[in-house]
Amino acid sequence: MTGDPRASRKLFLGLALAIILDTGLQVVWKMAASDLPDQPDFWRTMQGALHQPLFLLVGLFMIGQAFNWMAVLDHADLSYAHAITSLSYVTVAAVSVLALGEIVEWPQVAGIMLILVGVWFVSLSGHSGRPAKDRAS
Amino acid sequence: MSAGHFGIILVIAATVIEGFAQVFLKKAALSPAKWAWRGVGFAFFGLETVVYTWALRFVAVSIAFPLGSLSFVAVTFLSQFLLRERVDRTRWIGVLLILAGASLVAGRA
Repeated sequence: MTGDPRASRKLFLGLALAIILDTGLQVVWKMAASDLPDQPDFWRTMQGALHQPLFLLVGLFMIGQAFNWMAVLDHADLSYAHAITSLSYVTVAAVSVLALGEIVEWPQVAGIMLILVGVWFVSLSGHSGRPAKDRAS
Repeated sequence: MSAGHFGIILVIAATVIEGFAQVFLKKAALSPAKWAWRGVGFAFFGLETVVYTWALRFVAVSIAFPLGSLSFVAVTFLSQFLLRERVDRTRWIGVLLILAGASLVAGRA
């Protein structure tokens, strides 16, 4: 993380994009999986995925997510970036209600909040490995 | 067993597979045989993708995605037992909170 305003803006945009891509990926993935034709066995169903164009979109989201994540990690510690992007637990739940008509009940909302606090605790804990390039130089 | 419960078991299996994938990538970082471990790690990520896709046929994404946070739990256990990493108390508290939250989310299925 850095005090440079341009880098901070870039990081903010990267983190926002990470949450958007996470959310888009999950929703499209769910749509693609739900559209798979019913087959008697598991492997035939998975073969069906190869002919389902939505899975191409799933792949594109994954590629976009990977590139954006690498760019984010150039500007932020993993523990910080991971904690911030866990906000996608909230956005996925919200978009699944709006776009897929799923029902989210209060115990589920409470569960997601507990998970967010848990992720925050995990990211607070220390790490003994060698961090990325800042400390390599 | 209901379809929802089957879906939850598949999501949990996917998180355990992801835990192993992460451990293999860490092994790649530590070992001279980097590409062998990376290959195994990416193969596990591929397997996770298949299992998660299968899970999404049975369970709502608003349930499956938060349950994916159990990968934090899997990674914590596996990195302690397979990589001998030291896990401090704060991380265990986080793991317990994630487990409690995931139980509430799974209870809806």
